[in-house]
Amino acid sequence: MSKKQSFSVLVSLILMWGYTTAVHAGTPSLSLNGFGTLGVVHSDEDQAAFVSNIFAPRGAGHSSDWSAEVDSRLGLQLTADFTPRFSSVVQLVTEQRYDGSYEPTIEWANVRFDATPDFSLRAGRVVLPIFMNAEYRKVGYALPWVRPPQEVYKTIPVSNIDGIDISYRHRFGEIVNTLRATYGQTHAEFPYRDLNGDLTSGDSESREGVTIGNNVEWGDLRLFAAYSQFRLTIEEFNPFFDIYRFYGPRGEAIADRYDVDDKRFEVVSLGASFDRGDWFVMGEWTQTESRTFLADSRGWYVTGGYRAGAITPYITYAKQHIQSSTSSPGLAQPGTEELDAILNSFLSHQPQQTSLSLGARWDVAPNLALKAQLDHIDHEDGSHGYLVNPQPGFEPGGSVNLFSLALDFVF
Amino acid sequence: MPSRLKRIGCSLLLCLVSSVALAEVVVVVSAQNPLAKLTRSELADLYLGRTSRFPNGQPATPVDHRENSPAYLAFYREYLGQTPAQVKMHWSRLIFTGRGQPPHSLPDSKALADFVGENASAIGYLDDAHLDERLRVVAID
Repeated sequence: MSKKQSFSVLVSLILMWGYTTAVHAGTPSLSLNGFGTLGVVHSDEDQAAFVSNIFAPRGAGHSSDWSAEVDSRLGLQLTADFTPRFSSVVQLVTEQRYDGSYEPTIEWANVRFDATPDFSLRAGRVVLPIFMNAEYRKVGYALPWVRPPQEVYKTIPVSNIDGIDISYRHRFGEIVNTLRATYGQTHAEFPYRDLNGDLTSGDSESREGVTIGNNVEWGDLRLFAAYSQFRLTIEEFNPFFDIYRFYGPRGEAIADRYDVDDKRFEVVSLGASFDRGDWFVMGEWTQTESRTFLADSRGWYVTGGYRAGAITPYITYAKQHIQSSTSSPGLAQPGTEELDAILNSFLSHQPQQTSLSLGARWDVAPNLALKAQLDHIDHEDGSHGYLVNPQPGFEPGGSVNLFSLALDFVF
Repeated sequence: MPSRLKRIGCSLLLCLVSSVALAEVVVVVSAQNPLAKLTRSELADLYLGRTSRFPNGQPATPVDHRENSPAYLAFYREYLGQTPAQVKMHWSRLIFTGRGQPPHSLPDSKALADFVGENASAIGYLDDAHLDERLRVVAID
């Protein structure tokens, strides 16, 4: 907390210092922009909750069948151009946090130096360019849907890192290629239920994160590819795997295979979109791999829409499938039945699902869009999908229907 | 009655003709700027924030009319093939990552002619009725 505060103070100081020097240079500019979503979601599954991401404890379903907490958020951004080459961005976002509060968090806070018009360096809190629409994944107005397809975007719920970012743009005739590399670390607090069923929070920490993303724009066509690797630690799970370690080499082997203690995590993602103005198609594919209990998964979606004046109906089909085994024999010795059962529940509850979404976006005004979306999600056998807070009456492997309304705005 | 209908029809037609005429915009730079022509994709790159330089390497400052003004609508439709909502969506993707701000918009054609006429780096567009000797029309391929 104090680390976060000192970070924001530092950034404000840099901003102020930069601004005052820029006033003397005679070319400063400060812009304030904002974005937000007011959204409600209805879920027909009352034994578990549908949430926006794994960092939020409350959603639609179990405790309330309508929820305004899933998609609603507000973002404010201050952009300062100190000189033509030196600028800074600070963006604050308020949305439901891991502890259920709405305390604003710093989404971006970085200083940028343009060595040339096409080569820039940024330092501070920067975007994690892991998916094609990652940079504006929280800006509902910039997206065709109510929310990005969860089968891809929920696999890596983190949107920023603290570190550096290098971007190089090169044009080959009509093709604009942008290569971006980031290095840094991040940590995120998330809510979870402990073995007694009580809500508590954990901390996931990613270190030595390297992400390389390449984006090609050629007229209406856009192609994207990214690779990311980092070392992931979720301390809260270590005590559980330490129990396995008491059981000698076989227990050690299980703990080493499934714990999340400084394990290498790799992500590959690909995307393509073709936007003709009056219609568009877009698709993304992603794969995650690690030697942890978090599954090796593949997720993808395809979406298409038709712009009929101010109304844009769209359809999305998405799937997430687990490549690794969703069960383990465990130690299978007398006295470890309960331990093995918990390990197997970790493995089998990983998200595996297909979903079909139908929706429409209505551009009410140049900075206002109203969206309505229906989602039908089928969980594969044994999977909870992305639902949280399952109640005793919840049956894994079922299906859930969502109805969402969202008002997106930018200013 | 028929003559009245005819009159209404004529005035409708006149309206239509004049709005089409109003909607004809040309791309302009300062007369001091040697730029004579641009391709459509070079123009789109300038107006969509993909570059901040003219093809000859000189810095470029594109300026806009007010959103949803007739010149704005005509320019984005005819030269970039985009609706105001698409332009807004494009910029909201760039703004919120600190990758740029849209061109400044000026209140009317006179202000735009003044700004472009006085700035060698500026590029704008206006109804050709507002052309004057300080401006040079850029041919768009």
